[in-house]
Amino acid sequence: MKEKNQKMAEKSRKITTMDESAKDRRGFLKSTSLATLATVVGASVPFYRHLPNGFIPAAMATENVLDGKDGLTLLNDRPVNAETPPELLDDAITPTNRHFIRNNGIPPEDVDAKSWTLTIDGFIDNPMELSIADLRQNFDVVTMALTLECGGNGRGFFNPPAKGNQWTYGAVACSNWTGVRLKDVLKKAGVQSNVVYTAHYGADAHLSGDPEKLPISRGLPIEKALSDNVLIAFEMNGEALHPMNGAPLRLVVPGWPASTAQKWLKRIQLRDQVHDGPKMTGKAYRVPAYKVSPGQTVPTEDFVIIERMPVKSLVTFPANNTDIGRQTEVRGHAWSGDRKIKKVDISTDFGATWTEAELDEPVNRGAWQNWRTKVSFSQAGYYEIWARATDSEGVMQPFAIDWNPKGYLNNTMHRVGVRAS
Amino acid sequence: MTMASLFLRIFFFFMSIFMVATPAFSNEEDNEFGILFNAPGVETTYYACSACHSERIVAQQGLSRKGWEEMLVWMVEEQGMFELEDAERNEVLDYLTTHYNVDRPNFPKRKTN
Repeated sequence: MKEKNQKMAEKSRKITTMDESAKDRRGFLKSTSLATLATVVGASVPFYRHLPNGFIPAAMATENVLDGKDGLTLLNDRPVNAETPPELLDDAITPTNRHFIRNNGIPPEDVDAKSWTLTIDGFIDNPMELSIADLRQNFDVVTMALTLECGGNGRGFFNPPAKGNQWTYGAVACSNWTGVRLKDVLKKAGVQSNVVYTAHYGADAHLSGDPEKLPISRGLPIEKALSDNVLIAFEMNGEALHPMNGAPLRLVVPGWPASTAQKWLKRIQLRDQVHDGPKMTGKAYRVPAYKVSPGQTVPTEDFVIIERMPVKSLVTFPANNTDIGRQTEVRGHAWSGDRKIKKVDISTDFGATWTEAELDEPVNRGAWQNWRTKVSFSQAGYYEIWARATDSEGVMQPFAIDWNPKGYLNNTMHRVGVRAS
Repeated sequence: MTMASLFLRIFFFFMSIFMVATPAFSNEEDNEFGILFNAPGVETTYYACSACHSERIVAQQGLSRKGWEEMLVWMVEEQGMFELEDAERNEVLDYLTTHYNVDRPNFPKRKTN
């Protein structure tokens, strides 16, 4: 008791002296940083010195970080990262409450759509500051179904493990997005001939609370930015964006790592060199330029930026580990960044034989393709349903993970185990 | 009941008098360090990490000691973490290497909302 009391007293002394001695590293470390605290609760905390060490503010403790989402698996709550179990991605178009969340920082508190502005600057003829109303009035407003997939989807299956959120299958979605084409806005801004890359900036705050730091700022080669289906979006499935999916304004970049699709979008800068913002450099969203063996150490300079996401498919019905009859429909989605899916094959005998599923055209470029087939089982027992997509370039999903140090681009076949009776 | 938990109970009793909307504390004393595996070094590790981010991202990792060392260097050099003193740094590295190594002995069970 005596020892514990001393420890408590020591801690409280550290808190009370925090403002006088910001350099008291132990004191700072032993409590949540004031800057972080202010960011999390959305205001400064005048009585922070009285807040017990490690005590969670009530406003934060009672907040459901998955408000407006249904059935998502929470991987991390600060920053919020949540994925959707495959069987809940069964809809042809992903409802907002089933769209995954991948935050890198703390979302902004003030997301008023009326006062929100987007700045376009850098190497352009006409720098612009646009409200969402300006975007609606001055450009074609389009609605498209667009596939967003986190670059690290499937990381959880890497061995040796790779750092980061251990996503399984569900960091992918294809919702209807309404907005204006990035291409149209950039053309009006007048892209200068020396531009090679965009840089995207959002309003989310760095986890450390340091206002000088950005949680993430990625970009696109100008050719991709000027393609037809990259949107500056202000509606998701016909309604305002979900706060965790970037309300009130975000980029949607189908088929590329979803980190390029900046949320809470405030600024797009046009650059005469590749963007060097946080999570553009080093090993972030990069893979080795050559094949490596699992666990191999790769020098940082040998990493290259991930562009399109590889061919992949998901079985959304039936669910894994379920009991079914001797016949069942099997269905799901397939996608391949910047490409179309040519066919989806299904096996129920661990890959020995395959049959081709019925495959829909994408509803528009950048949308995933829905597929379905019927399978029957000759006798009762355990079966695995495997799906394997082939894209328009003839590239198929692999059986095994193409291991890379940061755990990106796992596009191995989805296996669903069922018991038939 | 340990002295520590008695102290917490008294503390929360008084807190509940002052707070109208009291958050649920039912698991607080069991989960003082969130989902981190309860073993020597957990307290130092929890406070070193959770100043900026949830312990949930820590618990998802499976790294060798070298991997954890690199992680801490990255946190300090790039992510605004305060540098740990040697003793604390070793305590944190010992804890993480023991309980969150590549064999993932304490990989978290999945929860859905």
